[in-house]
Amino acid sequence: MTLWRTINTGLAAVILIIGVSTAVWAGNVRQNLAQESTLETIQKNQTLRVGFSTFKPWAMKDKNGDFIGFEIDVAKRLAEDMGVKIRFIPTKWDGIIPALLTGKFDIIIGGMGITPKRNLKVNFSDPYEFTGMSIIASKSAASGKKSLADFNNPATNVSVRLGTTAEKAAQNFLPKATLLKFSDEAASIQELLNGRVACLIASNPLPSNLAQKYPEKLYLPLKDDFTKEPIGFAIRKSDPDFLNYLNNWIKVTNSEGWLESRFNYWFKTAQWESLVE
Amino acid sequence: MNNTHKRITSLDILLLAVIIGVLSTLSYHIVTQLNYHWNWSVIPNYIIRYDQVTETWKAGQLTQGLLVTLRLSVWSIIFALIIGTVMGIFRVSSRPLYRMISSSYVGLIRNIPPLVLIFIFYYFLGDQLMNLTGITELSYSLDDKDFPFLTFLFGPIEQLPAFLSGVLTMSLFEGAYITEIVRAGIESIDVEQWEASKALGFNRRKQFIYIILPQAFSQSLPTLAGQFISTIKDSSIVSVISIQELTFAGQELMSATYRTFEIWSVVIVLYFLLTFPCSLAVRALEKKMNRHKSL
Repeated sequence: MTLWRTINTGLAAVILIIGVSTAVWAGNVRQNLAQESTLETIQKNQTLRVGFSTFKPWAMKDKNGDFIGFEIDVAKRLAEDMGVKIRFIPTKWDGIIPALLTGKFDIIIGGMGITPKRNLKVNFSDPYEFTGMSIIASKSAASGKKSLADFNNPATNVSVRLGTTAEKAAQNFLPKATLLKFSDEAASIQELLNGRVACLIASNPLPSNLAQKYPEKLYLPLKDDFTKEPIGFAIRKSDPDFLNYLNNWIKVTNSEGWLESRFNYWFKTAQWESLVE
Repeated sequence: MNNTHKRITSLDILLLAVIIGVLSTLSYHIVTQLNYHWNWSVIPNYIIRYDQVTETWKAGQLTQGLLVTLRLSVWSIIFALIIGTVMGIFRVSSRPLYRMISSSYVGLIRNIPPLVLIFIFYYFLGDQLMNLTGITELSYSLDDKDFPFLTFLFGPIEQLPAFLSGVLTMSLFEGAYITEIVRAGIESIDVEQWEASKALGFNRRKQFIYIILPQAFSQSLPTLAGQFISTIKDSSIVSVISIQELTFAGQELMSATYRTFEIWSVVIVLYFLLTFPCSLAVRALEKKMNRHKSL
């Protein structure tokens, strides 16, 4: 019996030692990983993996099932300048940051607005574009409202897309209004068209496009955007090399005027509409 | 089966009239009250499209999603069968340890909402496994064009790690249900079968392989087939981890075109086209089995 007990205790001790040493060893591996920049991994795999969410006109599929959009152009150019292949990984917006952190892709290029809260979890590059929030209102449910103050009361239902900066903007600018949050954009638009909400808050160009598409039902209560948000690339933390590369890439493409010309094409014109539908 | 005369009574006609009335009122409301411009013209393109460049017909975006759903379901059910069989045998094992392993597995999986389970697996387990086995590395080095067979089996190679994570999650989830089906199948075998095979000199392992399992499987075949249909339906859940199956493809299209109602309708029809033949097959299978029983 005592022999048995000794063997058991011995076995337990061995298992414990193995367990602890594995943890120490894993710690070393983690340090090594931190020294390895994503930039190196990208070049090793000869592939840049880009996470984004379908968001018109930032990124969407055209009639042939190929991805097109402002962010897609940016990502393609970035991969081209790095000399690697590109791999697009469409991801749900509400899970896009965890997906980046768990290494499903190397970078988020998807019109992600830089916010302090997001910045706690990911690193952002310098802004490569700016987008503004705007309001699109329903003529039947919110007639004659002309300012943010008109919408700021508990009787007003406002629809926003969950987890977007539009949600934040709505909370800041319309604290008293009732927010209805939708995880998908089409549903939030449908709600507005049905007149169940007074207005929808979203980044331009969606509000202005909607106003053009449904002039008999919707109108733009505000002349100009009421926010101006910086949009940056999001990458995992502790990667100064990659961040440095991205920031300089943005400076270079900006100085060429390339970013602005792409932005104007996707946001100021409707030439691409025929590609989608 | 006793032959009862199928007679239509006045009550049936009344009921039918009420149902048709309610349905037509509903559809009238949907068409008129909903501020929605129906536009079906874009939909056929998403089922099948003519590629201008290669001058061939290609699968549209929804069809591609349907193919992913099909692949996902088939692989998941295969692995779930393997997991379920092993765990099912463990459930009825004479060893308490095996019974404990198996009942913990079933208890754990069946008492966690599938959505939560999928997130946990995908974010914490899937990646680790894919990196350990080198599948992630592999997916960079292979090209779709060089491996048509692989692409046929698993879909686009660049989506392989995510796809396999999805398959793993689905297999473990459905495996728990199949475990219970297998256990019920084994327990439904009469004790005389065990005794007779023992008398013939089979040891426990051979009893299982030659006598018990074949009977147990044929007993629970309809239930297993039904589970396959459940797997197809459950596969829509993995759209939350951005596996590009039918539901995900539909949602992506909606964000790009805002054609919510048309696309959902098509998605419903496609799922139905996939599962309904399976249902018919299950029904036919059950009929056949019952015929054999009544002999």
